[in-house]
Amino acid sequence: MANLNEKPNAEPLPRQSGASIILNGRYLPPPEDEDGKLWVRTSALVQSPPQALYALWRNVELAPLWQEEIEEVVITGEKTSRWTMRSDDKVITWDSEILADQPAKRIAWRSIGGDSDNAGEVIFEQAPGGRGTYVIVLQEFRMGKLTSAWETLTGRNPKQAVIENLRHFKALAETGEIPRSQEAPHGKRGLIARFKRSLYGESIATPPGTKVA
Amino acid sequence: MKAVCWMGKNNVETQTVEDPSIINPRDAIIRITRTAICGSDLHLYDGFIPTMESGDVLGHEFMGIVEETGSEVTNLRRGDRVVVPFTIACGNCFFCKKKLWAACDNSNPNAHLMEAAYGYSGSGLFGYSHMMGGYAGGQAQYARVPFADVGPLKIESDLSDEKVLFLSDIFPTGYMAAENAQIEPGDTVAVWGCGPVGQFTIASAFMLGAGRVIAIDRFEERLALARGLGAGTVNYAEEDGSVLTAIKDLTGGIGPDSCIDAVGLEAHSVELQGVYDTIKTALLMETDRPAVLRQAIQAVRKGGTVSIPGVYGGLIDKMPFGAAFGKGITMKMGQTNMHTYMKPLLERIEKGQIDPSYIISHRISLEEAPAMYKIWRDKKENVTKIVIDPWLQRAA
Ligand SMILES: NC(=O)c1ccc[n+]([C@@H]2O[C@H](COP(=O)([O-])OP(=O)(O)OC[C@H]3O[C@@H](n4cnc5c(N)ncnc54)[C@H](O)[C@@H]3O)[C@@H](O)[C@H]2O)c1
Ligand SMILES: [Zn+2]
Ligand SMILES: [Zn+2]
Repeated sequence: MANLNEKPNAEPLPRQSGASIILNGRYLPPPEDEDGKLWVRTSALVQSPPQALYALWRNVELAPLWQEEIEEVVITGEKTSRWTMRSDDKVITWDSEILADQPAKRIAWRSIGGDSDNAGEVIFEQAPGGRGTYVIVLQEFRMGKLTSAWETLTGRNPKQAVIENLRHFKALAETGEIPRSQEAPHGKRGLIARFKRSLYGESIATPPGTKVA
Repeated sequence: MKAVCWMGKNNVETQTVEDPSIINPRDAIIRITRTAICGSDLHLYDGFIPTMESGDVLGHEFMGIVEETGSEVTNLRRGDRVVVPFTIACGNCFFCKKKLWAACDNSNPNAHLMEAAYGYSGSGLFGYSHMMGGYAGGQAQYARVPFADVGPLKIESDLSDEKVLFLSDIFPTGYMAAENAQIEPGDTVAVWGCGPVGQFTIASAFMLGAGRVIAIDRFEERLALARGLGAGTVNYAEEDGSVLTAIKDLTGGIGPDSCIDAVGLEAHSVELQGVYDTIKTALLMETDRPAVLRQAIQAVRKGGTVSIPGVYGGLIDKMPFGAAFGKGITMKMGQTNMHTYMKPLLERIEKGQIDPSYIISHRISLEEAPAMYKIWRDKKENVTKIVIDPWLQRAA
């Protein structure tokens, strides 16, 4: 996939709005997609304190436990790590650098070379009324039209992957595991079962969540 | 193991499938000793619920013996006898903490499908479509139960399986329906549908202080069970006038304080609107047939409450919303928040206040289930509730 090697174009984060949703009391809509740049912003209410959630997210070596199709993350420096992702038999790797790191508050990162071009930010914010922590993610990708069309057809659309990853993160933080049903016993599947599996998003393996059952 | 599989609309088969195994630390494997077929299964059988896939294992009302537990399950042991709630809940999320168990955020692996349809996802359910989790159901010999440290209710007395099995769904569902009806002592309550859910709704309405219950159905055996509980009955198929007239006559013209729709999206209708809904659903312009819901809204008294345990899945048409607004009514509904009700209702059974097994009409093997689905759907053979013994050897 040649277009996966396009030059990184992610603007350094934090951008003016970053992941935040409110500025001076006004709702800020997420940025719009344009020429090969995709944005996704998603949020979750999590029953865990900001400090613990920050610590789980910041421990990037644990990302394969809760991020879809991430096979391995290796720390390469104080602020850098190397990520390996596998979908079916396609493997891609990239390096990532942490741009901002405020314990219990926020982490921002971007890729610095390799097969993926992305940047993102997560913020942890005490929700009003003691109802937990809002975890808000803003993630940007740059990808050729072909790649995104291909990804959408064969696997998760990358935007959906960010949404699902936050869902997995929340489940892991709250329950200690990630709900899964892909291994459910079943009778004879029909002819279009494989198509339906990918339609339901079930062709993407749910990340393991924990190492032991 | 053997399991009842959905193989398409109006088609279920008993097949041999893989045994389930522990996947997550909070899982348990249950060796199922009794399981049942529910009115909700008919919505799958009749093809009303999307995202079913041929081969899916059906069933969400089951109980059994703990066979194996995951590393984080410390409250259950191999050999414990448990009833499993049909809604799967984590116990940790915002909704579980509010005891809105059926709204659990962490039990539906396919939440995105339900989000696309409803805006937000409910909890995962056993054997009830991929949109609601893709979990294998309990019309089988074994089941994997997630969050087994939160859901299953231990049965420590020697009550028979048949007396406690319905704590898995329909008894709590009937109870929550009555609770949602906001009954005050002496109230008059009308209940549409005298199936299993309607039965437990009627019984619960009396437990919560109803002075009079009016039960509506067309099957005499079901109406007779309702009379056995103390309800007055109306056979809507025999009424010369409309059900609404009968209800007005029975309430001095003011209508019931609460109306409960224990029928749901496949309501049968003898009036013209039934033809209208059948045509519209056939043309996919409407997904549900809300004949009973319309009647309940019309019939309820001013300022009264409509409670809806009957399942709805999609879009409905010709809702008398002006009547709802004009009378200032309250409506409450939803999948049952099972975990709240199981223990208190078990206590009622233990104290002998109710024996839920009175509704059972058929006891069958897994092999007999496919034929019984049809009988259950067509309400033949005076069927009122079917219980399956998954270890019974009896050919179809
Ligand atoms: N809310 C929940 O969590 C929950 C749980 C279990 C079941 N349910 C739902 O409750 C409903 C009833 O379940 P059940 O097991 O009793 O099913 P069932 O099919 O045995 O009973 C439905 C009854 O409604 C009667 N009926 C049909 N049309 C009618 C009409 N126009 N007027 C009056 N009665 C009419 C039928 O004759 C039948 O006796 C179903 O929709 C089921 O999906 C909901
Ligand atoms: Zn049921
Ligand atoms: Zn929960």
